Amino acid sequence: MLKATTPLGVIFFPAFDWAISPTHPEREERLLYTQDQFREEGLFDIEGISEHRPLLATDQDIMRAHFCFPSVEAICTESHRISAGGAIQAARLVLERETRRAFALVRPPGHHAMKVVHGNRGFCNINIEAVMIEWIREHYGRKRIAIVDTDCHHGDGTQDVYWHDPDVLFISLHQDGRTLYPGSGFPYENGGPHALGKTVNLPLPPQTSDNGYLYAIEQVVLPILADFKPDLIINSAGQDNHYSDPITNMQFSAQGYARLNELLKPDIAVLEGGYSIKGALPYVNLGICLAMAGCDYSGIREPDYNRAALRESPEIMETIKQTCAYVLDSYFHPPMGDFEKQGEYFIRERKIYYDTDGILEKQREELKDCDQCRGLRLIKTGSSHLLPCLGVELPIDCCPTCEREGHEAFARSGKEFLISQLLDQKNKQFRYLAKE
Amino acid sequence: MRIGIDIGGTHTDGVLLDGNRLVAAAKVPTHHDNLLESINQVLQAILVGQDPVRVQTLNLSTTLTTNAIVTGKTEPVGMLVSAGPGIAPNHYRIGDHYHLVYGSLDHLGTETSAVDEQDLEEAVAACRDQGVKCFGVASKFSPRNPAHENLMIEALAGHADFISCGHLLSGQLNFGRRIHTLYYNSAVWRTFRAFAAALAASLKGFQLQAEVNILKADGGTMPLARALEMPVQSIFSGPAASVMGILATTRTDQDLIVLDIGGTTTDIAVFAGGQPLLEREGIAIEKRPTLVRAIRVESIGIGGDSLIRVDEGRVTVGPQRIGPCMATGGPAPSLMDAFNIAGMAAFGDVDRSRQGLAALAAEHRLVPEQLAQAAIEAALDTLAAKINALVGEINTKPVYTIHEILTDREIVPARLIAIGGPAAVFKQLLADRLGLEVNVPPLYEVANAIGAALTRTTSHLSLTVDTARGRLSVPMLGIFRPIARGYTLQEATAEAQKLLAADLNQAGVGMPADEIQITQADAFNMVDGGYTSGKNIRVEAQVRPAVVGRLEDGAAAIRIAGPA
Repeated sequence: MLKATTPLGVIFFPAFDWAISPTHPEREERLLYTQDQFREEGLFDIEGISEHRPLLATDQDIMRAHFCFPSVEAICTESHRISAGGAIQAARLVLERETRRAFALVRPPGHHAMKVVHGNRGFCNINIEAVMIEWIREHYGRKRIAIVDTDCHHGDGTQDVYWHDPDVLFISLHQDGRTLYPGSGFPYENGGPHALGKTVNLPLPPQTSDNGYLYAIEQVVLPILADFKPDLIINSAGQDNHYSDPITNMQFSAQGYARLNELLKPDIAVLEGGYSIKGALPYVNLGICLAMAGCDYSGIREPDYNRAALRESPEIMETIKQTCAYVLDSYFHPPMGDFEKQGEYFIRERKIYYDTDGILEKQREELKDCDQCRGLRLIKTGSSHLLPCLGVELPIDCCPTCEREGHEAFARSGKEFLISQLLDQKNKQFRYLAKE
Repeated sequence: MRIGIDIGGTHTDGVLLDGNRLVAAAKVPTHHDNLLESINQVLQAILVGQDPVRVQTLNLSTTLTTNAIVTGKTEPVGMLVSAGPGIAPNHYRIGDHYHLVYGSLDHLGTETSAVDEQDLEEAVAACRDQGVKCFGVASKFSPRNPAHENLMIEALAGHADFISCGHLLSGQLNFGRRIHTLYYNSAVWRTFRAFAAALAASLKGFQLQAEVNILKADGGTMPLARALEMPVQSIFSGPAASVMGILATTRTDQDLIVLDIGGTTTDIAVFAGGQPLLEREGIAIEKRPTLVRAIRVESIGIGGDSLIRVDEGRVTVGPQRIGPCMATGGPAPSLMDAFNIAGMAAFGDVDRSRQGLAALAAEHRLVPEQLAQAAIEAALDTLAAKINALVGEINTKPVYTIHEILTDREIVPARLIAIGGPAAVFKQLLADRLGLEVNVPPLYEVANAIGAALTRTTSHLSLTVDTARGRLSVPMLGIFRPIARGYTLQEATAEAQKLLAADLNQAGVGMPADEIQITQADAFNMVDGGYTSGKNIRVEAQVRPAVVGRLEDGAAAIRIAGPA
């Protein structure tokens, strides 16, 4: 009988009664065949692999990570709270040492959800990893956390949430943004002015297969992690790099995914995308679980797997090597970004499109360039559906000046803004204010 | 009239019931080498002055298969195991004739590699050469497509006395459990068949014409003819008989904890809304998980004979037992002796209890009464922790829909029911510790046999439909047939009910359709290339364990006959 060498808790929550729409990739059927595979292979009969149900994320849990406008209820359905609650359960199992590692196999996903949320982007409403990380820091104190996003799409939401946070290293490996949604994730996107180098983007060319992907893990991700020395490693485990995925163009395999996790040794993995629900997910999920549990996964492969046919061309491999060298160098010597400054504030003005909900958001971010702390952040945001809102964020190490300014800005925001939200990490205050 | 017999580890209990009235009861020692002897003694005692022809049903809970397995008195089984990629089938290796046959099906039942004919021929030849006559055939994903198992059965034609076949065992997916279950089923088949023949002869001798049912671990029965095909299901029926006995003798409409306190262990079961909870997938045999459905019973090493120890001033009780308590001539002080000293019981030779505890207390500079009290506290701590953990585990069991997360009702035990020898002694202590009303029902000495007598037949089946492929499968009945594209979930649930009722009917069990419970009914929209291609329908139907009657009050006065 098999036995896990690193005990693994799996939060398997297929949400069999929830879909974005009946034929949407995010539908009830998505994890059905994964469940069949798990059951037939007896995954939960393996000693040291246990199955758990998700917790339910509260308003407070979500408001620690996000500015939700007009309200948390308007953005989050129960499905999102449970999905985020699945990630929280994974963190709880690991931090309470009930299991050594945990995999939140939950849906819907979250890594396209940014700091400010007006609706659904790229199948995501709230960022379940971010909600989890803020829950971890709330209950277990400040930690150095590394997120390695191996979804095929750039994790633009997670990148945005932690853009200014030097305690969180965000590494995204993804299909080149010039060829795939959301069209971002280039190496020059490397973090805000006070967190330079703590965002790492590694775009991979279409047709990248096991060799190229694992080369990037071994040559870039592992050395960066060795330098950053995180307390926790989190894998945003999208499974859409698979060669059979219907909405991407990569050639990764179940064996590759398992090896990736064997190398990465994540404490926590959280399912993101992956929509080849019959041809990939049953095998990829099984491979990841076995690898995370330290079990032999050598027998796991897709029925139509053909390693030779999937192998990347020498030209693609060469491109990958060049990108890897550049990205690794950029982490150790991060080039200064092109930051616009007005007075003592860094300014970022952006338009963000919510593809699923058809919302266009206009956003102006003002980050105080403070030498005492990470700086007060004000986000003025309006959308095609809602005008105008304000997010006030006080960082965990907020200095008295920024603290006073932040609370003043929030107190008087009712005159100008329809809805404001305070996110005070220092004093743990999270609340809304409506227009007077 | 109905007869219930429960062959236990120490005693064999039997009762005769007329409607809901207990007519006779008996308790005799179990002869492990000759179970039939124990059955005969019980029948002799309870049939005194009765007309045996009036007995319509005889339900028997037997340790036959359990003992055969525990004592290794099983037959060699040729296992033909077919699998391709995935977790290697070698991890489930069992017995001395375990043969791998390459071939694979995927989770939809599509053949992805044909069965390797050479592997198969070699496996059959090897078993034939070694004189193996009983077999188990299992292929990965056989409930989705029985083709590979059927091929292996064909290859065994003429070589086998008995073959256990994976997809006929259960529609449930779990390859490892399928392999283990098939092995044990075939390993005990011949023993069970011999026993059944001897039993039939013996019943004839008593002029009994009753239909004979065998108890299963899920608390229900199966007709003897079915038991001959699936003897493994008769394993671990003893604890189930006790649980059903409680259903038959007590008011059980709430969430309940049931304790069966014995000499060595206490068995804990949980009732939700009056129903005993079942294991999620099946019970383990020799630590190997199987697909044998069973009432969830957790055993903990606390009983009347649990050894008391003192380690660095800390008093512990159990899980060790080195003999009976000192009050009945045992070698070392045990929990029952502590009850004697604490003045809560006067069981056996109280002086011997006192001597034993005094000696242990002196060794650790304790007062005997204090030691007794500490031992009782330790036993209660262990029991309470286990009960709380079990309820906690049940209340956080995995679920797969948002609806269940939001609406799942928590189990909140309202009462505790204790049976078994030391139950009465524990009554007030458990009530104080757990803050629950504790009942010790009358007749507990033969409650297991009453449970056996009054329990009904249980059964279950899984039905799946893939309308994109136009296929309906009911693996346990061997049904795999085409279906129209427009087939609906409603049709599927109706079909599952109809098929289960018909199958029971064929085995001679009449079951009204409304007694067949649908425990799962899901239809998933299947999408291929952005378009709906069909529905994937999953239906589970069952007849849950239940008793056909409840014992009338006042029956407690009956005399329990001993061996003649």
